[in-house]
Amino acid sequence: MAVGARRSLGRNRLYLAGLSPAAFLLALFFVGPALWALGSSFTNRALVGLDAANPRFVGLDNYAHLFSDPDFGRVILNSVIFVIGSAIIGQFVLGLLLALLLDHAQRRGFLAANFVYGAVLLAWVNPTIIAGFLWVAMFDFYNGSLNAGLGVIGAPPVNWLGQGPMLAVIIANTWRGTAFTMLIFLGALRTIPSDIYEAARVDGASAVRRFWDHTLPILRPIAALTLLSITMSTFGTFILIQTLTNGGPAYQTEVIALYAFHEAFQNHAVGYGSTISVVMLALNLAFAIVFLRWSRARA
Amino acid sequence: MDDVVRQILSRRRFLQLTALSAVAAACSPSAVGTAIPGGPSSAPGGSAPGGSGGTAPSTTAITGTVNVSYPDEAGLKPKYVEQAAAALKTQYSGVDVKIDLQKIGDDDYYTKLLLALDSGTGPDVFHVGGSSIGELADASYIEPLDDYVSQWADWSQYPDSVRSGVTYKGSVWAIPYGLDMRWLYYRKDDLQKAGLPADWQPANVQGILDAATAVKNAKEANVLPYALYAGPAGSSGTADHAFVPLLWAYGGELQDSSGKWIGDSPATKKVMAYYQKAYDGLSPKEILTSTKPWTAMREKLGNGQLALLFEGGWVYGGWFSADKAGTEQNVGYLLHPTETGGPSFTIGGPGTCWYISSRSANKQGAWEFIKAMNTADIVGKLNAEDPHPVARKDAADVAEYKASKYNLDATAALEKAKFVPPDPGYSKVIESIQKATARIAAGELGPDDAAKRYTDDLTQALGADKVTSL
Repeated sequence: MAVGARRSLGRNRLYLAGLSPAAFLLALFFVGPALWALGSSFTNRALVGLDAANPRFVGLDNYAHLFSDPDFGRVILNSVIFVIGSAIIGQFVLGLLLALLLDHAQRRGFLAANFVYGAVLLAWVNPTIIAGFLWVAMFDFYNGSLNAGLGVIGAPPVNWLGQGPMLAVIIANTWRGTAFTMLIFLGALRTIPSDIYEAARVDGASAVRRFWDHTLPILRPIAALTLLSITMSTFGTFILIQTLTNGGPAYQTEVIALYAFHEAFQNHAVGYGSTISVVMLALNLAFAIVFLRWSRARA
Repeated sequence: MDDVVRQILSRRRFLQLTALSAVAAACSPSAVGTAIPGGPSSAPGGSAPGGSGGTAPSTTAITGTVNVSYPDEAGLKPKYVEQAAAALKTQYSGVDVKIDLQKIGDDDYYTKLLLALDSGTGPDVFHVGGSSIGELADASYIEPLDDYVSQWADWSQYPDSVRSGVTYKGSVWAIPYGLDMRWLYYRKDDLQKAGLPADWQPANVQGILDAATAVKNAKEANVLPYALYAGPAGSSGTADHAFVPLLWAYGGELQDSSGKWIGDSPATKKVMAYYQKAYDGLSPKEILTSTKPWTAMREKLGNGQLALLFEGGWVYGGWFSADKAGTEQNVGYLLHPTETGGPSFTIGGPGTCWYISSRSANKQGAWEFIKAMNTADIVGKLNAEDPHPVARKDAADVAEYKASKYNLDATAALEKAKFVPPDPGYSKVIESIQKATARIAAGELGPDDAAKRYTDDLTQALGADKVTSL
């Protein structure tokens, strides 16, 4: 018994030694700033003006202010539309379909598959800001490629970012992020031995049937993981939208991360910006907890 | 299998949360460094009281490094800053001047500067808009210059109107080099093709929209009728180059006599109705979504692809240096009309000014740099290239400045300029103006509702006790 306890302590010590650098970095770069933001959200801290010289504790004023802010509901709705559009429908579904297609093509030795794979990956290896500018170059009213194309066929230019701003940022983010989902699914699909499909085919199972019975059960846990991951990162998307529309026109693409940035750094209201980021953190945590509970209950 | 997935999931969640924390971290400028080193400002040593002014060597040697930081995208200022730095180094052998030229926009520079000042690492001397004096002074970021200007003979060259523009709570806080004024620019060629005279003048504010409509109906290829800044993308131009002059044109004011900001009012509703008409096919909606839309609009007016634009007087310099003859021939400039009359006023401002950081370890050196940068010669030559009415009177006699009719017109127009009240709340008011104009320009609200929401935005930003409606 005593020997067992000692042995487990020894093993724990090893775990602790292994984990502590990560824990330290996490405390330094996440817990610290998060606590700072939480503390700051109870103050009227600003970058300029009287409140910059003498920030005061204002209790829950910022939160009351935020929940009575007529723009905040709009911002939350925008975030939800953006996540559903670009993460769930765009990156997730498109990534899965692309992975299935590529896996199928590669199993058949179809050479163009590698070309497609590379093209999708190229979108992903770009830094976000470059991806943003690529789409600005595409959508721009005066000098954009899309309107140049319309000009060639004699059609009048379209104000892409003005008429369909949300669709435009969803398309850009889908283009940028699909590769991640595709890579993960492709990796999972490659773990499925070909003979399973062979056997199923011999048994006369249709393609849909084979997908349903064999592919999907294997993909399910990895799909849950991917969905959680891309939902949360999409919820925090900021640079891509800032580059494309900067939240405009009139808040039509202002998502929560952008709103926090604008309040803190454009309007110099650091306390209020912190409040928004704390609410964002709370929403993300709530989502993660619900999601983990759900996936555990299924296990 | 499931255990593994759960572990990955938790780790993945951790990773996501770490990524998320970047946002939280982004919202948390360094919490350290709020202590103010140095304490109260040391009285300026150096030049004897009543000394002979800018170029007189100081009795106390100035030593150490002076850190000068300024933004410049146009590239007109660097040679003068270098010249001033060289003069300072010649005058005081113990001085070194480190110049930090930031080739970024004024808004980006300002945010960057504030973060540096907030963490106590800012430069000794910096260069930002004079409209920030109130909020910078309130934040204790800047040094009052009363003790310095009182011993500077050249200060007598700055008229009272200029001095009052940089005075807040009884102190002088910054030294301007050129003042801001704005024009209603119009393209004579575009208006003529639309059947209007080359010496066109609007009979009233509506006359601008009428001319824009005429240009639109003339259906010239690649010519936009009019650009009216709106929304946050327009930056401070949405206020200073659009909403505020329109508000004054319709007889409105930003503040009432007690200093409360006015939200909804008959004039505000009229401005919103004007915006609605302008954004009904006259002014391009891309203004709402472009980054720095003024860049495209200024360029278009310069090459004839835009017929009407209310913009800063300094913008003329860019067109003029690119195409002297074409600009003189085709670009007309007028004062702003009112609801009932023709061109009669403009909106002024203190322009971009030089400040000394309250935390500077070398305030005397910083002041000597500002003096070297603001000699009559440099002020005159800089404003000749970057056209503004000169801040100091004697700079108007510099040959390069006098040579241009445009500079004389702009200086004369300053007498018709109305100034935004120097109030630290103005930057919050600009935000509310941006929100209100974006809603009407994007077609989300009608004039009455947009004017009402403007009151709500002001209340949200400044508190109910500082806002009123008429």
